[in-house]
Amino acid sequence: MSPKNSRAPLWPRWLLAGPLAALCAALIMAGGALWLPRGAAGIDNLVLPILAFPAIWAVLFFYACLTRHLRRAYALLLALLLAHALALGLQLS
Amino acid sequence: MLRLPQHQTKTLLAIHGWSAVLLGLLLYAVIVTGVACVFAREIADWSSPLERAVDDPYPRGTDMALRRLAATVPAQYQEELFFYPRAGGRLYAFFHRHEQDAGGKPVERGVAAEIDPLSLQILARREGSADALQRSERSNALADFMVEMHVRLHVPDPYGLLLTGVLGLAMLVAAVSGFLIHRHLLREIFTLRRWRAQRGADGALLASRDAHVLAGSWNLPFSFILAFTGSYFSFASAFGIPAMAMVAFKGDQEAMITAIVGHPAQEDRRMQATADLDAMLADARARSGVAPSFVQLEHWQRADARVTFFLPAQGSQLSSPTYVYDGASGAFVQEKPVLGLRPSLGGALADLMAPLHFGNFAGLLSKALWFALGFAAAYVALSGLQLWTQRRAESRAWRRLARAVHWVGYGLPLALIATAHAYFPARQSEVLPQEAMMQMFLLVAALSALAALLIRELAQLRRLLLLATAVALLGLPVLRLLCGGPGWWRALQAQLYGVPALDLLLLAAGIWCLWLIRSPGTLRMPSLRELRS
Repeated sequence: MSPKNSRAPLWPRWLLAGPLAALCAALIMAGGALWLPRGAAGIDNLVLPILAFPAIWAVLFFYACLTRHLRRAYALLLALLLAHALALGLQLS
Repeated sequence: MLRLPQHQTKTLLAIHGWSAVLLGLLLYAVIVTGVACVFAREIADWSSPLERAVDDPYPRGTDMALRRLAATVPAQYQEELFFYPRAGGRLYAFFHRHEQDAGGKPVERGVAAEIDPLSLQILARREGSADALQRSERSNALADFMVEMHVRLHVPDPYGLLLTGVLGLAMLVAAVSGFLIHRHLLREIFTLRRWRAQRGADGALLASRDAHVLAGSWNLPFSFILAFTGSYFSFASAFGIPAMAMVAFKGDQEAMITAIVGHPAQEDRRMQATADLDAMLADARARSGVAPSFVQLEHWQRADARVTFFLPAQGSQLSSPTYVYDGASGAFVQEKPVLGLRPSLGGALADLMAPLHFGNFAGLLSKALWFALGFAAAYVALSGLQLWTQRRAESRAWRRLARAVHWVGYGLPLALIATAHAYFPARQSEVLPQEAMMQMFLLVAALSALAALLIRELAQLRRLLLLATAVALLGLPVLRLLCGGPGWWRALQAQLYGVPALDLLLLAAGIWCLWLIRSPGTLRMPSLRELRS
């Protein structure tokens, strides 16, 4: 499936598009409660991430599947993942 | 249309096919039951009508009937009450309190009753948790079975919701990748080479592919909406709300829901009679022009009682407000959105999810449209799987999957219709309808599987399952009648128009299945023999 080299192993892309994209989407959703504006009714930061979860996952999944630059994709997803994990860790501690 | 590089198109094609192969059969089950659920209310009305049609779900005297019920309810369960019309127009009322199970999940426990709005008598009364009450449900059980199958595939929480959430994401992937891989989408939505079907295996495969692409392309926006809203509903309950509650409310889901719905008034536990609900219902109706779809009363007989009326969407609106009343005085307090105390982006978008998923925003017309589009989505899922397996029919593993596709594709509708055959006799007896229906479903699914294993030719298997489905459909109105349901003349006199209408639809569907057996049509799949020749 790798566009640059068809003989490249598939598992790095599967790992990125599968568990990492799902985990990253889940953490972005949960972390969204911390950085999204609360809105006029004070609920947007709680409601919008839940609403957007399928879209967040779909964008990450297709990006991971289609990108030519797998390393860049890993870097981006891991950065998003770590930033949100850190923010959530601080909030819950 | 979009012109993607060849390698990306190949990748998308692989994603499109493999997402369907891995989850397609379960997705098909969710779509088929979803199609039935569009008319869940009508199915409930048809299966359990009252003596005559109910013009007003909340007649004058509703307040008195609820107070009579409250007198039989232990004080511990009078924390909250909700009531709304269900099967046949019965008013379903549930006095309950909020608890947490061993896993910290919120549960409701209390006393539920069905009130006949024609006589204001209590028809049934049961006590227990919300889950237990649903398992012992009788009048609404047939519709509940379909809804439960669609929402959770009858798998316990949270796994069932997570599973259907993943299936929603798989459908989203299939819709997006389907859109991207068809370079000539505009041309393909008008292409159907039926005449090619008679010209050997290649022609039949081409005609089948045309039909799949045609139905899928027209259905793309709808599939996208259904997939998105469906996965939202599944994940929100199973994962989204608990996760957000953990982040923002230290895991207290009740506190989070209270905050999202709107901050409660100052707590005042003093006893005070709740004001006349009939007067509040009349006022809400006068303000909105419609009967509420759902009524919630917090803190029955307390000074801080609050009554919230949820209204159905009207006209071209996709969302609707709620009216809040002071329960102690009966005074109107405010009009507010369903979520939050004032309009917001999050509240408005959340409001859109239900009408877009259920298709109930314009009455029967939008429901019929959603039914038709859902039916087309089921056809797309099934035909896609058939195409994928037929193209690889030389391999034994793919032939086995082709057999499984036939089993689920034709066996599932049969098993679902068979559940209704279990429902009517069970409702008449002491047997719990939910148990009887599940046993019947599993029995018919097992028999279909046996047929799929024993019958060599898939075309013959298809004919057998279609014949059984036709017989089940044609026999259902008769069984309903034999089990005490009203005849057509009596139903028409009692203005129960949904009863003969649904009977006629079942009979028409049965005749259509017979027609499919006799005339497989030009959109057939080539047999293995044809492919080999």
